[in-house]
Amino acid sequence: MSFLDFFIDPVFRAPMWGTLLMCVASSLIGTILFLQKKTLLAESLSHATYPGVVLGVALLGWFFPSQEKWAFAVVLLGALFSSYLGLKMIRFLQEKQKVSTDASLCFVLSLFFGIGVLGISGMQSILPSWNKQVQMLLFGQAATMTDLHILLYGILACCVVFFVWLMFHPLKAIVFDPDFSKSVKLPVPMLERILFWCLLVSLVLGMRSVGVVLMSGMVIAPAVAARQYTSSFSKMLWLSALFGACSGLLGNILSILGTSYLSRNGEMLTIPTGPMIILVGGCFAFYALAFAPERGLVFRKLRIRSFHRKCLEENCLKGFWKKGSLSYAGVQALLGISPFRAFFAVRRLVRKGWVIKEHKTYRLTPDGMHKAASIVRLHRLWELYLANMLKLETGKVHKTAEEMEHILTPEIEAKLTELLANPTRDPHEQPIPQRRGL
Amino acid sequence: MIDVEGLTVNYGKTPVLWDVSFQIPQGVSVGILGPNGAGKSTLLKALLRIIPTMSGRMDFFGESSFSKVQKKIAYVPQRGSVDWDFPITAFEVVLMGRYGKLRLFGRPRAADKEAAYRALEIVGMRDYAHVQIGQLSGGQQQRIFIARALVQNGDIFLLDEPFAGVDLTTEKTMMALLKQETEKGKTICVVHHDLPTVKEYFDWVLLLNTRLIAVGPVSEVLTPENLCLAFGKNQMLFDEAARLAAKSASGIL
Repeated sequence: MSFLDFFIDPVFRAPMWGTLLMCVASSLIGTILFLQKKTLLAESLSHATYPGVVLGVALLGWFFPSQEKWAFAVVLLGALFSSYLGLKMIRFLQEKQKVSTDASLCFVLSLFFGIGVLGISGMQSILPSWNKQVQMLLFGQAATMTDLHILLYGILACCVVFFVWLMFHPLKAIVFDPDFSKSVKLPVPMLERILFWCLLVSLVLGMRSVGVVLMSGMVIAPAVAARQYTSSFSKMLWLSALFGACSGLLGNILSILGTSYLSRNGEMLTIPTGPMIILVGGCFAFYALAFAPERGLVFRKLRIRSFHRKCLEENCLKGFWKKGSLSYAGVQALLGISPFRAFFAVRRLVRKGWVIKEHKTYRLTPDGMHKAASIVRLHRLWELYLANMLKLETGKVHKTAEEMEHILTPEIEAKLTELLANPTRDPHEQPIPQRRGL
Repeated sequence: MIDVEGLTVNYGKTPVLWDVSFQIPQGVSVGILGPNGAGKSTLLKALLRIIPTMSGRMDFFGESSFSKVQKKIAYVPQRGSVDWDFPITAFEVVLMGRYGKLRLFGRPRAADKEAAYRALEIVGMRDYAHVQIGQLSGGQQQRIFIARALVQNGDIFLLDEPFAGVDLTTEKTMMALLKQETEKGKTICVVHHDLPTVKEYFDWVLLLNTRLIAVGPVSEVLTPENLCLAFGKNQMLFDEAARLAAKSASGIL
């Protein structure tokens, strides 16, 4: 089976397109929610859909037992109704009863979901044949989606995407600075209401493929991943939609391939689509948190490490500059570091050409002399600046200068030199090495 | 110019502003002073209709319909009211000053973008136009906010603590800039904290402590008696009574 077959094969195309569209819509809305710091709302509202769904399906089963094909429409309406009720309740608790945001969100989540679960147990005995319609929405069941679903889901998902595209600028303003947006007459309450409906729509769309329990993951994960790579609102929306789409696609394909692999011996072992999609989305988010070039944890740790290494090397150079020649043990004693670190620091300095071996000890090369002098110069310039310009006590300036000597750039050095009129002595009456003529 | 009559604002049952009335003429710079919780920020937000008012009348330019004059008012919120880690550049923030003039589905035009760059130039932030706002210092962030207000081409500027946590150079340059605007006939209202600089910065003072204490030219209003009224202990009895009133009205013991 080729990659394209997943999109056109009559069995596979419905879940494929269904999840793809749903993921794009939910990750766009998720990005906005994430930036508003309201992600828990998605979690609460997705759980709050459940009692409405149970009620809707139960009513349909009770009064129109032959109309099973309309179940999805009832599910849609019931879900919208009950999560709207959930939102009203959250607002009521927050505004009228002064319950904290977290508490009211969690309360509504568990209350509504509890009622829903109670409802299914009731259905199990009264309407057993309809029970599976509701049960499958807990963790989703993409495989049973039909072309009719795609049509409806496609229209709704396109509405969400279109809204975000059309309202890009006002949305950016109300998310960033709601007070200012009100002051320039942007229709803030109306936009927030539409935004809320878009969230509901994407949650309800996701119910079918990912399920009410996991749906909020699909809202949050792509946004978290996207934020790691960019500092632009529009790029973040694009990236988030891309991550969302990829999780939908990959999750689907992996579940189809995995299922066919596991069932090759005739046993029926299925890998569910919904959890697979969430897993893929989670992997994107996790990878971004660890490996994004600027904000990723791994690269940040590496940059910190390389800075520490630079500090150590420069302190070493200063030691050679003051003492003339040093052995490993000398370096170790002077800087108060382990023999291991002293050994490797000196080796690195030799490799870089700052230091050379001579009669079992080490001393600076002429290039190393220049380098060390420039570090000492920065140190003493900074001390003088603190003492003369900021009037700090002479005894207290050494410590911060120890740090700043590794950080100051040539531009700042030039400014300091000018400000202090190219000084020759630091506050401790030590000579300041000159830039040229060393 | 700004004409307020009997303005009262409550948060829940607690009065934040109580029967405030004043008139501010055109082309003056007004310092709004008062202790913490005196309702200074609330006054600005009420003037802008960001928060609902209990009662009172607020007219601008003798026009009682707010939507007709809304576009003439530029607002600078407190710096702490937004998330500075938000993925947005300085230029984009300044451009927001023009959003009020766009139609709902509109996109900023080339002229709007040009104006945003010009405003950045004026506040000395042209080089930082495409930097994410979280990378800027407190003073630079405030300059961006003021540039956004400039881009609005308003006739009234309402600034909420623009000098809180800002370096002295920025404070002086921004104040000089605002002074220039008053010379063009614009009215500047600034929520301010620092009493010693009031005489230097403002023509008028509005002293506020839930009630209006005094309003008028600096030399007339900034008297020890008035300051004592605004910042002194006499106020405490009123606060206590207000707290009691709120308690009994809400039924909490």
